Formats: sequence, structure tokens, C-alpha cells
Amino acid sequence: MFINWALQEINLKIVYYGPGMSGKTTNLEYIHSKLDPSLKGELVSLKTKEDRTIFFDFMQIEVGRIKGKKPKFNLYTVPGQVYYASSRKVILNGVDGIVFVADSQPHRMEANIETLLDLEENLKQEGHSLENFPWVVQYNKRDLPGVEPVEALQRRLNFFNVPYFEAVAVRGDGVFDTLKAVINLVVRRVQDQL
Amino acid sequence: MVQKRKLKDWSRQVILNGNQYEAITKVLSELATKTKASAILFADMSGQLISQRGNTEDMNTTVLSALAASDFAATSEMAKLVGEEAKFKLLFHEGEKRNVYLSNVGDNFFLVVVFDVSVTLGLIRIYTKKAIEDLLQALKETADESESKEKMIDSDFSSLLGDALDDAFK
Repeated sequence: MFINWALQEINLKIVYYGPGMSGKTTNLEYIHSKLDPSLKGELVSLKTKEDRTIFFDFMQIEVGRIKGKKPKFNLYTVPGQVYYASSRKVILNGVDGIVFVADSQPHRMEANIETLLDLEENLKQEGHSLENFPWVVQYNKRDLPGVEPVEALQRRLNFFNVPYFEAVAVRGDGVFDTLKAVINLVVRRVQDQL
Repeated sequence: MVQKRKLKDWSRQVILNGNQYEAITKVLSELATKTKASAILFADMSGQLISQRGNTEDMNTTVLSALAASDFAATSEMAKLVGEEAKFKLLFHEGEKRNVYLSNVGDNFFLVVVFDVSVTLGLIRIYTKKAIEDLLQALKETADESESKEKMIDSDFSSLLGDALDDAFK
């Protein structure tokens, strides 16, 4: 978090984390496509030529002044593929809130768990823990046949009982609800701390 | 001192008061004048832009800060991999028309200087070094108590923000 009293700006950093191909970039692309141009900045994607995130995606959103203050949300994704572990770690620098985008397909369950453990490990190095950090889970790809029941996903992944959302990010289902929930958690935490 | 708290279970918080912001912007203006740099950015290591000077109208400085912060973060990982125990202090990107000189300011901030190739690197180095000292000094200034005591965010703010998000996400 960065607060500039002179400009009355509050900058918060939210990171979309999750295994490869779970839909992190798709979330940002949907948000970017739907928001009014006055509220959003450019969406920057650092991708390989196969369209996979190599470093991160980034966009900033604003909602104008609220009680004289200007909140700005910086949204990032991390590359999901296993061999970009160091990139994931550096994007978490100064993170305020996390959206964990899980893939609902049964064969991705292990990848979800592995990535969640990787997240906890990286957060620890930042001095945090999932137990007390503002984060939410998004169960993505709910439209695909044969997906895991939500109860099973909840049992395996949501061990701290944080807010969760079912989503079909390509259609935008659940995308804004997820973002709103994480912003809400982050702001509530800031409110407690300041 | 710039308020920088590492609270239990909470992110690093960086809070700048009005005086500090003014002092920082003044340092950047001086650096811009002396070096004739095209653009100068001061940002925090998480990628959030704090202040900028120069001809930045046609430049997306928000994105530039985010990319520069990642540049720093990536090279500090590189430093570890090649056995450099400290972080690399500066990064230099050389182009045909423009160069970019990035330098850290303490552990939590950095400076980006964008300049034409006609400007010598030596000049940029000398003035940037001085600017970094001045910036570190500005960050040390005592925070104005009255400002830090003001309630930045109250419950009213949260609910108004919720409404604004609902509007934005319609």
C-alpha cells in the first residue's frame, strides 16, 4: 500500500495468483473490456509468442474521488507455469490482496494445491500468511463438463474459509464479484490499520 | 521519517506526507533541469508511481513504473542466482534514441531517468547520485502528526467505495 497525503491518493496492489491456464489473464481482460475508459489504464501483458504470461499482466483501475480520497487499484497477474516461480515471487512485492484463481477441472486439482502452497511460501517471505491475509478464491471454468463439485474444491483449497466465487471468466461470470470482494477485504483491513 | 510499518500480517505500508511529497518533487525538478532528461519518475518498489517530472504527457508512466519495479525485482533475483549478495544498484537500458537509467533509492524506492542518447551517461550518473542523497533526506523528514492522525478511511468510505464499484462494474 502506498498513501500520498499531498494528493490524497491510496494505491493498493491486488495480485491474481493461480496455476497455469486457470484464467488469471482472462479475468483482467474481461475487466478491461467492460470498464469505462475513464476508469481504467492500459492493460499491459508480457506474454510469450504462445500467448502465455511470461512475467505479468498489469492494469490500474480508479473509481474517482471518494470523500476527497482517490483510491487506485493496481491489478497484476502472475505467470502460472511452474518454471516461472521466481517471477511469481517478485510480483508479490508489496501486495495488499490476492485473488486465487483455481481451475475447477479434476485433473488440475493437484496443480491448484501446489500453486496454493507456493503462494503461502512466497507470502511468508513477504512476512505474511494466508491465514491472516486478505484473499479470496475463484473457482473458474464452471461451464466445463465434469468439473469438481464446489464442496470438493472448498474442502481441498479453502482451508481458511475465505470468500469464494464460482466463475466462467471468459463470459465474465463471477469476475466482478470476485474483484469487489477482494477490494472490500483489503479496504476493510486498511481501515483497521490506519 | 517516512512512515513505513511492517505490521504483523499486513503489507508494508508507505505513507508520504505533503512536505515529503513537495521535497521529492523539487528534487526531481532540479534533476530534470540539470540533466535535460526527457522524463524522471520516482516510484516505490511495489511499482506504484509517486512523482514524475519532464515531458511525460505522451508516456504511460503508470505502466512504466510497474515495469521498472519488475525490472528491479527480476534483476535482484538474478543477482542471487549469480552469487551477488547485495542487490544490483542500477540498471541501464541503452537504445538508439533513448536510454533509461534506473537506480534504487534506499530499499523501497527507485528512480527512473529517461534521456536522449545525446546526453552523456556520466552527467546522468553524477546528478542522479546527488538526487538520490536528497531524496533519502526528504524521506527521512519527520511526518506531520496531524496528517497521520486523520482518519484516512472510515466505514462511510468503505460503503461509498462499494457503491462506486457497483456503478463501475455495471
